[in-house]
Amino acid sequence: MTAATLPARPDSGDSALRPLPWRRMAGVTWRQHRFALAAVAALLGALAVWLWRIGTSMHQAYAAAVACRPASSGACRGLVNAFDGMNNHMVSAASPGGVFLQLVPVLIGAFAGAPVLARELETGTFRYAWTQGFGRWRWALAKLVLLGVVLAAATGAVGVLVSWYYDPYFAAGNQSLGLSRIPPFVTLFSLRGIAFPAWTLAAFVIGALAGMLIRRVVPAIVATLAVYAGLAVAAGGFLREHYLTPLVTTSPNVPGTAWIISQWWTKDGRFAFAPDPPLSLLNQFCSALQTGKGGKPSFGTFAQCLAPHGYTQWNSYQPASRFWPFQWIEGGWLLALSALLLAATIWLVRRRAA
Amino acid sequence: MTALTMPARPDEDDARLRPLPWRRMAGVTWRQHRVTLVSVAVLLGGLAAWLWITGTTVHHAYAAAIACHPASSAACQGQASTFNGTWDVMGYAAVLLQLVPALIGAFAGALVLGRELETGTFRFAWTQGFGRWRWALAKLVALAVVLIAATGAFSILSSWSYQPYLAAGNQARGLYGNSPLVTVFSLRAVAFPAWTLAAFTISALAGMLIRRVVPAIVATLAVYAGLAIAAAGLLREHYLTPVVTSSPNVPGTAWLLGQSWTKDGRFAFAGNPPMDLVNRFCNFSQSPGGKGGGPGGGPASSVNPFAQCLAPHGYTMWTSYQPASRFWPFQWIEGGWLLALSALLIAATIWLVHRRAA
Repeated sequence: MTAATLPARPDSGDSALRPLPWRRMAGVTWRQHRFALAAVAALLGALAVWLWRIGTSMHQAYAAAVACRPASSGACRGLVNAFDGMNNHMVSAASPGGVFLQLVPVLIGAFAGAPVLARELETGTFRYAWTQGFGRWRWALAKLVLLGVVLAAATGAVGVLVSWYYDPYFAAGNQSLGLSRIPPFVTLFSLRGIAFPAWTLAAFVIGALAGMLIRRVVPAIVATLAVYAGLAVAAGGFLREHYLTPLVTTSPNVPGTAWIISQWWTKDGRFAFAPDPPLSLLNQFCSALQTGKGGKPSFGTFAQCLAPHGYTQWNSYQPASRFWPFQWIEGGWLLALSALLLAATIWLVRRRAA
Repeated sequence: MTALTMPARPDEDDARLRPLPWRRMAGVTWRQHRVTLVSVAVLLGGLAAWLWITGTTVHHAYAAAIACHPASSAACQGQASTFNGTWDVMGYAAVLLQLVPALIGAFAGALVLGRELETGTFRFAWTQGFGRWRWALAKLVALAVVLIAATGAFSILSSWSYQPYLAAGNQARGLYGNSPLVTVFSLRAVAFPAWTLAAFTISALAGMLIRRVVPAIVATLAVYAGLAIAAAGLLREHYLTPVVTSSPNVPGTAWLLGQSWTKDGRFAFAGNPPMDLVNRFCNFSQSPGGKGGGPGGGPASSVNPFAQCLAPHGYTMWTSYQPASRFWPFQWIEGGWLLALSALLIAATIWLVHRRAA
């Protein structure tokens, strides 16, 4: 560990008179965490170069497919297939690219956040650092805020790039051209806009608090990974759909970009079943229905044959136009959580007997 | 760190006469790494419980979809879509599970030597009568065997969970099918423990070279990511010479590698046909179904729409693929080279331990 450079001040009487050296903490933070920051820069830089390269070719393929006239010609089909064929690595949450992008915030946060306090406590250097004239809670606060701001800025820039990368998949009118179109919600949600830096900040602060509590670096990193995984699963699986009240409709034509939350059926104004019709009912009323081979029956398929018998299908969904409100809600509560965890960490630093 | 229990031996002469205490290293290894081993057990146990529950659901949905007759009825389509819907979660999990070998290996391996060197306890540990390279070798081998056994058992469970997606004949029934050589290849059979072992030995060597735990973990994750991407993206398709066929009906479970076209026995072009050719010969009035085979980026539709319209004009499409029956040869090839790599890395680590001035 690099030696800290703040001069010790034996005369604590005049430290109140001098301005506190907040600015000089920037130099200390850089010197103590330059390896972590360089590693983050290398990771994000490689990611940005890769996103830029494949994103450029994808945007070109998209522009070619959209500009092609007439859309039903064989050549245009070829361009559409070329664009859709690029999906395999990145397009869905379950694709390797999509999943590995989601690991970036937690890896950065855990490996940058846990050592800030845990390494000082594990190696004993806190005895020196915390007895400087600057004061130990200011010392911890300055380092955490500085690193948090730098990480949020860096991942925010990458978040803009990721948004740009995925743009072609969210354009309206893709479906009529046969181009892939995906709902802007669901899991890729956390990779774009302000959610990406917000999740990074949350992981960083969780790491710092875990380091303060556990006082050892590697266990703190492992604990951060576990807590973050739980938080991300809870947010993606349970919380996000409740940010705003979902829309409810009986129309069988829910827009393809909507995020379907749930489906249920009513008969004569009373709840009948959810989400799929029972087999006995299908055999009774839908036996004549032949659906296309290989495809899922669309949402309207069962509705068509059950509607004449008094059954109504209800869908609750979040429309794609709510993307930005959802981003601000998620960014907001993550920022509030981060501030709370930061305050808890500083309180622990103040309280701990040196 | 827990205190070490090997007695120091001031009398060098009779150390040769006594049997070397290999067995007692098991106790030392356990005491030094019990937190790691318990963490690994908790992680694998939690994942196994989850896989068991979801796997049971998948098997029930698959059995219901297969038993349903006639297959084209709406009720059977409903069963099929229930089964296909399970891939949304299982496909996501399949990618996340590939992180498990990297995480286990990186955290367990970096601590073995990196922590002793970082904290300075190697000065005590390596000066015991047992000898420092034996000390390092015993710990590495004991931990590696335990990790292989645990992840091997886990891979049997994950094989079972993903079995329904890999069965032949899924496509004919509209069920989601996947080639056993693609997404879940590294989660099953020999490959899963072999990748864990490789991550562990990479991490042990990184710990010996860097001598600090956290940088060694980061380095291991980076090296492992590069190795896994290279293996899946570049190496694996070349394990055995691909089968080349001109038949347009390649089995749905095959792993498609590439397409090339010939005219009159000579090479014409590779991949998709050029635009002018398509404009001249192919008039698709309706969309020929250019979408992929299933949710989550499965193998594309096996019948190429261009083959049908270009065949009358003398063009032949050649498809190269790896048939699903090569699953076990591929597993043994991948397991074999990973094991050889791991043995090499352990040897390099031990040589470094032997050589380093204490």
